[in-house]
Amino acid sequence: MNAETKIESRELSYAEAIREAMDIALSTDERVVLMGEDIGVYGGAFQVTGDLVEKYGEDRVMDTPISELGGAGVAVGAAMTGLRPIFEFQFSDFATLAMEQIVNQAAKVRYMLGGSVSVPVVMRFPAGSGTGAAAQHSQSLEAWLGHVPGLKVVQPSTPEDAKGLLLAALEDPDPVMIFEHKILYKMKGPVPAGHYITPIGKAAIRREGKDLTIVGTSIMVHKAMAAAETLAEEGIDAEVIDLRSVRPMDRETVLASVRKTGRLLCVYEGVKTLGVGAEVSAMVAESDAFDFLDAPIVRLGGAECPIPYNPELEKAVVPQVPDILDAARKLATGAI
Amino acid sequence: MPVEVIMPKVDMDMAKGRIMAWHVAEGDTVAKGDPLFDIETDKAAFEVEASDAGTVHHLAATETDIAIGTAVAWLYAEGETVGDPSATVQSAAVPEPEEREPSVEAEKPAEPPAPAAPTPDTEKTRATPRARALAREGGLEIAALAGTGPRGRVQAEDVRATIDHAPNAATAAPTSFVPDTGALAITRKEGEGTPLVLIHGFAGDATAWAPLEAHLKGRALIRIDLPSHGKSPKQRIGGFPALVKEVRHAFDALNLEQAHVVGHSLGGAVALALADTRPRKVASLTALAPAGLGPQIDGAALGGICNATRPESLAPWLRTLVVDETLITDAYTRIAFAPRNDPALRAAQAAMADALFPDGVQAFDLRAALQRLEVPARIIWGKRDRIIPWQHALQAPGRVSLHLFEDVGHLPQIEITAEVGKILQSSL
Repeated sequence: MNAETKIESRELSYAEAIREAMDIALSTDERVVLMGEDIGVYGGAFQVTGDLVEKYGEDRVMDTPISELGGAGVAVGAAMTGLRPIFEFQFSDFATLAMEQIVNQAAKVRYMLGGSVSVPVVMRFPAGSGTGAAAQHSQSLEAWLGHVPGLKVVQPSTPEDAKGLLLAALEDPDPVMIFEHKILYKMKGPVPAGHYITPIGKAAIRREGKDLTIVGTSIMVHKAMAAAETLAEEGIDAEVIDLRSVRPMDRETVLASVRKTGRLLCVYEGVKTLGVGAEVSAMVAESDAFDFLDAPIVRLGGAECPIPYNPELEKAVVPQVPDILDAARKLATGAI
Repeated sequence: MPVEVIMPKVDMDMAKGRIMAWHVAEGDTVAKGDPLFDIETDKAAFEVEASDAGTVHHLAATETDIAIGTAVAWLYAEGETVGDPSATVQSAAVPEPEEREPSVEAEKPAEPPAPAAPTPDTEKTRATPRARALAREGGLEIAALAGTGPRGRVQAEDVRATIDHAPNAATAAPTSFVPDTGALAITRKEGEGTPLVLIHGFAGDATAWAPLEAHLKGRALIRIDLPSHGKSPKQRIGGFPALVKEVRHAFDALNLEQAHVVGHSLGGAVALALADTRPRKVASLTALAPAGLGPQIDGAALGGICNATRPESLAPWLRTLVVDETLITDAYTRIAFAPRNDPALRAAQAAMADALFPDGVQAFDLRAALQRLEVPARIIWGKRDRIIPWQHALQAPGRVSLHLFEDVGHLPQIEITAEVGKILQSSL
């Protein structure tokens, strides 16, 4: 983090923080362009780009046609030829349409061309459930992209990190995929003014504790924090780690915490099977921290089903605070 | 309810024992204290006695490894129905799958009960990685531990409890050591003149004299380890007379013409008793902060030292022994703790403390012996002794020399070694 330029801190929403990051990038680096469907006059599906088109014009804040594959292809090509495009998907679910460009091109071009070309593209993915957007607009597909060498995948959980990770992504020579949780867009929090970066690949300890480690991603960090407060009243001292970066993953922070607490709970919204928490669990199980485990590792993830439209069912298929409380209590008391 | 007879833990490293022979047969009636069986560990063989009277049933097999803490037989009181003992086992360690059919089936009534079966291998024991790591560090065998986790899983807490609570269990039940017989341990240093017989204090051992010995160069030295201390056998000492009897027995066996007897604290009381009962053999008596001259003693410190299971809990009590607490360095503490890292030794000493100093009171009184003392005698005491009040020395008759030091605590031989050395040399 660049301390010299981090002068003051204001309350901004997560969406505002992202917009501020893009504003700073657009104003200080002429290579930066924004691309995406309805990001111009409409201001973006979730009003993240807002009025940036008025400030920087349609040459730098470009509406792309309703073709994710085409738009992503243009962004990847632009990155290869020297621009720093930030490509917005309306919903992360639509990444499925652009997989060829993301997985086969962006992630592999540097490798296949012997390092002579890199793809400094940034892609933004509004992700997650909770908006009543149903099965095709509510998924958490970060583990899909996290599975691809050549990509970096981050999940900011706070306004400060949303801005810092976007600015870090722009400095990165390789494609960076940013999964932004739709429910968090309106969440407010302190955001330093000016330019700073949140390092990619570095987790944050949101709460220190000694009884168990809860590794959460994205919105689950907030649910874990809420659970930790309740747990504290019950005498259970949970450490909450915000993973922030799915690829690369901050091994040391997680292992150090598990060595301390001996108990690990992973909470993530993506489908539990083969998800981010599966990787965190395996990472711990394969490490020297294994010898410090005093209970089985527990994962809480999304249910094995599409996200339902029914609001009650929609809540039921992803981990909620009571689920975290229940699992944490069992873990901390040796009941699992 | 029948009483279980368990495979005892007789030394720190022991995870399993082996019954070499039973002294009783199924259905035999035994009295409390009767020998039940012989066990063998890696290091030694022991005889285990009955903790209660009763009829013995469900004897475990011999020549098989049995985890410590496992029931190897059951003692039934008169009139008690001999049933399935596994139903009465309270330990969480009893694996459910091994539960037996109710023994109404009369076909195999005398078969050893399930808990006596050899415990499964380490690999098959349900335990967390942390518990296994802690057990490895602590030299415990995971298979020997009772798990309190789900499905009997051994968790870190269970291992820590085993390590931490061993001495507490010993305090609660001072029977948890196996009494041994044999002579007290004697160590000698060859030298000139009438030998000095050195008797250490409670919870110490002969090595406590090492600093002072540097000031007694050339003298013949004989050091006695008190019962249940140092290398002496662990014995059940019923009271001060029994203690003196043991030491006097060892002293007599030395067959010395005469000796200068030096004792510290409890050893000082023993030395005084020796001088009282063997006046012709004792050339002089030197008592350092001796016990036995009044009821007061710091019971908390006695208990604390007795029960400390690690150097960290021993150190604060050691510091109460001296005025200059910097003397109690980490190294000193570690050395002092090393022999105490033995639950059986701590249990034996706790039992002895309970007999000699019940309720933190000196239950024996040597003031009369002090008054009638005829041998040349001196008492050395620090006026800042926090364990036994130095004022006890003031009861000494006029012919006993008093050497009282202002800024010294309960360990003059450590705190002012040279001074004590000079006093001793001047009288030899």
